[in-house]
Amino acid sequence: MQASRARLFKEYKEVQREKVADPDIQLVCDDSNIFKWTALIKGPSETPFEGGVFQLAFSVPEQYPLQPPQVRFLTKIFHPNVHFKTGEICLDILKNAWSPAWTLQSVCRAIIALMAHPEPDSPLNCDSGNLLRAGDVRGYQSMARMYTRLAAMPKKG
Amino acid sequence: MMAKDESLRGSSSDPNPNPNPCPICLSTVTQESYLDHCFHRFCYSCIIRWSNVSASKQLCAQSSLKCPLCKTQNFSIIHGYDGTSFQQHYFSKSVGNSEFFSEAHRYRLKCYYTEPGDLADKLHVSRYWKSRKYLQQNLFLPGWLRREIQALMQEEDVDIIMHHILGVIDSLRRDWLNKSRISSEMIQEELRMLVSEAVRPFLTGRTERFVKELELFLASGLSIDAFDKVYMKHLGWKVVDTSEEDDDDRHAEEEPLEHAPAVPYLYILDEDSDRN
Repeated sequence: MQASRARLFKEYKEVQREKVADPDIQLVCDDSNIFKWTALIKGPSETPFEGGVFQLAFSVPEQYPLQPPQVRFLTKIFHPNVHFKTGEICLDILKNAWSPAWTLQSVCRAIIALMAHPEPDSPLNCDSGNLLRAGDVRGYQSMARMYTRLAAMPKKG
Repeated sequence: MMAKDESLRGSSSDPNPNPNPCPICLSTVTQESYLDHCFHRFCYSCIIRWSNVSASKQLCAQSSLKCPLCKTQNFSIIHGYDGTSFQQHYFSKSVGNSEFFSEAHRYRLKCYYTEPGDLADKLHVSRYWKSRKYLQQNLFLPGWLRREIQALMQEEDVDIIMHHILGVIDSLRRDWLNKSRISSEMIQEELRMLVSEAVRPFLTGRTERFVKELELFLASGLSIDAFDKVYMKHLGWKVVDTSEEDDDDRHAEEEPLEHAPAVPYLYILDEDSDRN
């Protein structure tokens, strides 16, 4: 408990210092609970998520960093490895490939990398995975782009 | 909360607060430890905790750990480096029920935390020296030595040390065979001195006691099993069946009050005792 708290404070300081260093990630700690964080990440360029801003919710366990944080998308996203309804993310480093050397910041980077490189063979969103597995890249991209516009971009007018 | 805000602001203005922190706690490394293959550095308690978590996820006992940073397979943690010596913690041992460390090893280690009392008289140690029994080879000695050193070092592979000690004792014996006029006291002293010298680098603080135990075993002329039985009976411990058994519920009955070890022996078996 104490160890996780101490480490999260270290990460908090690091985030404050690195704010400018990584403009694609904005990590914010809950005012009253250091075990709850949210992040805003920018959709990577040259992907259907470009131009969108996606919100992630982190729930950090007391055994952190020996146990991985739980992360999910709060913003709706059409991606093979993200559950369309719950926002749950299928990513090995958040499960059995977790290492305590990961930080909340580097987990965000891993999620951005996952957005750019979907793994259609372990889908949480079957419709999205099937489009890619069938080779319909255009179909996948246009669906993903549509949801990016609907959910991850500021409403116009 | 005020104090926390203070410290946070203080350090965010610091350009480079901690150049090389432990990757697990992100703080300054305490009890510097290195993985034996990739040489990545961690706090000892951090990497031990992670190795325990990692081991608990495996179905079978694991003997290696993937480095949290580079995923290289490592087999031990090197720590406690003081300029001349270091300690090495093997992952296979952290599981606690590793195969080689049997109930008998536990009992032997426990003996080192107990006063042997007048066991030397019971086993007729002085007669052993006077009647020159030391001129005969003891066939049980290699097995006894191996178990003893394994118990003390909590290492499985101690054969080099065992043969080293056997070599010292054998060459002494050959020496004594040729010099029949030396007094038994001198021979006893010579054995103590040379064996101490040979094992001290490995057993350090337990050297003197080890030599005493060795003398007891040699003098008894007993097999390992018989020696164990006499020893345990002497201490008033219930004779432990040396076959593997769950030992957790038996400590209490094993130790009558008058022979309670000065140091609870589980403490030293528990690698993880520094966990808070």
